Amino acid sequence: MPERSAVVVGGNRIPFAKAGTKYAAASSGDMLTAALDGLVARFGLAGQQVGEVAAGAVLKHTRDFNLTREAVLGSALDPHTPACDLQQACGTGLETVIYVANKIRLGQADTGIAGGVDSASDAPIVVSEGLRRALLRASRSKTLLERLKSFASLHPTDLAPVPPGVVEPRTGLSMGESQALTTAEYGLTREAADELALASHRNLARAWDAGFFDDLVTPYLGVTRDTLLRPDTSAEALAKLKPVFGGENGTMTAGNSTALTDGAAVVLLAEEEWARERHWPVLARVVDAQVAATDYVTGNEGLLIAGARAIPVLLERNGLTLADFDLVEIHEAFASTVLATLAQLEADGHGTVDRARLNVNGSSLAAGHPFAATGGRIVATLAKLLAERGPGSRGLISICAAGGQAVTAILEAV
Amino acid sequence: MHTTLAYADLPAVAPLLVRATANHVGRRPRAEAVLPTTVVRVARLRQDLGRLAAYNRVCGFGLRDAVPPTWLHVLTFPLQAALLAGPDFPFTPAGLVHTANTMTLHRPVAVGDHLDVLVRAEALRPHAKGALFDLVGEVRVGSELAWSGRSSYLARGASAPAGADAAGATGVTDDPAHPLRSEAAGEQPRTAQRWRLPADLGRQYAKVSGDVNPIHLSAATAKLFGFRRAIVHGMWTHARCLAALSGRLPETYTVDVAFTRPILLPGRVSFAAAESDAGVRFAVLGREEKPHLVGAVRR
Repeated sequence: MPERSAVVVGGNRIPFAKAGTKYAAASSGDMLTAALDGLVARFGLAGQQVGEVAAGAVLKHTRDFNLTREAVLGSALDPHTPACDLQQACGTGLETVIYVANKIRLGQADTGIAGGVDSASDAPIVVSEGLRRALLRASRSKTLLERLKSFASLHPTDLAPVPPGVVEPRTGLSMGESQALTTAEYGLTREAADELALASHRNLARAWDAGFFDDLVTPYLGVTRDTLLRPDTSAEALAKLKPVFGGENGTMTAGNSTALTDGAAVVLLAEEEWARERHWPVLARVVDAQVAATDYVTGNEGLLIAGARAIPVLLERNGLTLADFDLVEIHEAFASTVLATLAQLEADGHGTVDRARLNVNGSSLAAGHPFAATGGRIVATLAKLLAERGPGSRGLISICAAGGQAVTAILEAV
Repeated sequence: MHTTLAYADLPAVAPLLVRATANHVGRRPRAEAVLPTTVVRVARLRQDLGRLAAYNRVCGFGLRDAVPPTWLHVLTFPLQAALLAGPDFPFTPAGLVHTANTMTLHRPVAVGDHLDVLVRAEALRPHAKGALFDLVGEVRVGSELAWSGRSSYLARGASAPAGADAAGATGVTDDPAHPLRSEAAGEQPRTAQRWRLPADLGRQYAKVSGDVNPIHLSAATAKLFGFRRAIVHGMWTHARCLAALSGRLPETYTVDVAFTRPILLPGRVSFAAAESDAGVRFAVLGREEKPHLVGAVRR
């Protein structure tokens, strides 16, 4: 079998919206289907069978056990298109790209769609642990008396609904609280974080104004642009915000931390020759990928800086250095996450990343971060940017994820 | 010579604590206390899987075949209560403060193992605020010693004979230069976790451990004993620390803890740890990083 390569053909997302606003009435399934249908329309895939669709969501209802397949069935794709759900926290979107690309490279598929969705508005609410156990006991009971006894141990507070967990199960710390520990550890300043946030907004606004997203985004429910984007924000405005993590003297604010966001993003991938024969765009090849994890539970390392572990492995395996990349995309969970990852890479002797090559069309601070959708947004954006730069231009992606993990990948324009 | 008090199964704790308390009502403590030589034991004890599962859930352990060493301590607790309820026990349980604990897991214990459990008191020694003594527990599987533990209690205001037997002392509470408390013990533990302790945690732990000491159950009952609110069981905090370290713990180990300040419920504390070749040092910290518990696992 000749060597096969997986390429990014294109992408589509819906504009990202602040949670609880424009998409409050939409479910994850609704948004994923909308993103999928936009992609189908853009590439004329209506009624066509795609090799496989892989997507996922971080906040997931139990009824969404087959979220992606349901979205396929709700889309214009041929219903014979198989689909599966993957979950890798905020790395979900990029992990699905890797999964589909690997299937294509192995000859198990010629085409595939990868992506993700998240709704922080339509998040699942569950019953308390006490009520859940009582209900399970009752369902196992054989007599009415036993069933009634099952509820005897309930406490009034057990009847209150429980919102989805927003903390790391093993540390009890939220993402922000975890990042605040890392921020302090690396001595990162408010100014550096705000500077990164400002660049994110300016870059994303410029890209929107230049029409960069015209073939990457499909409007949804009347929304035509990312609603968290503040094109007019300034260093002064960002400097006025109060710290939200790390205490009174903390450096992390709502301006340099991502907000809860609703959105969906998908990417179309294909085998390179297969795409060329059909005159599909060939934006960039998925060269390689690496996942790594930090030892964060006992505080030895930061929760969100596993990128600094994954990237060196990727560089080594591909005989590259950071300087070999024309563009670098590091997901802005928090501005200080990007800064800490860069600081660790530099401390480990991998050099610096030229800021002029970093997140050049903005990232999550400006666009928002619907957890599982971020990977699809970044892959489509980077692939298009690389294609514009011409064959051989290289890009690096790093996305941190819950559980102390990071998913990284190399794309190269062909 | 010692006398043996043998039970067929673990006795109920609450009546024993009531009796232990009643024994001392209206009784003047002896000028110099003497510990009884009684050994309390249960042979061929079967472990209750449902209770273990509930214990593990309250303390943050996953349910495995191998039981946590703190669970074995919980199995010795009713026997400790029986010892305290003996007519010759010199101290009332109402005033006892659990100051430190050390335990060694000599071999892994499975939930299906039948256990021979025994408890005795020893090492009565003077302390600045009264007298310290240890309740020593042992758990055997067949003839093999699987677990041994030593709980140090302070009887406030009591006095121990000078030059009393201190051979068994853990040293953690007696000695400010003990490695557990020393600032010079290498890298300081780093804050890694935050725990939110609900108001009913004392009741939850009482249910799974049998330790129904009123200072843990509610603010009202805790006030009777001079606490502003209910305080969590020290052995819950100890267990929660081991649960936080699960995966980092060797198959067998010794763990020492000192309970330095009670944790009021509901409460919020942080957990800090530092690993070295010798083991793991850990601490549970409150406001201004003041420790509630300091501990170390020795490999």
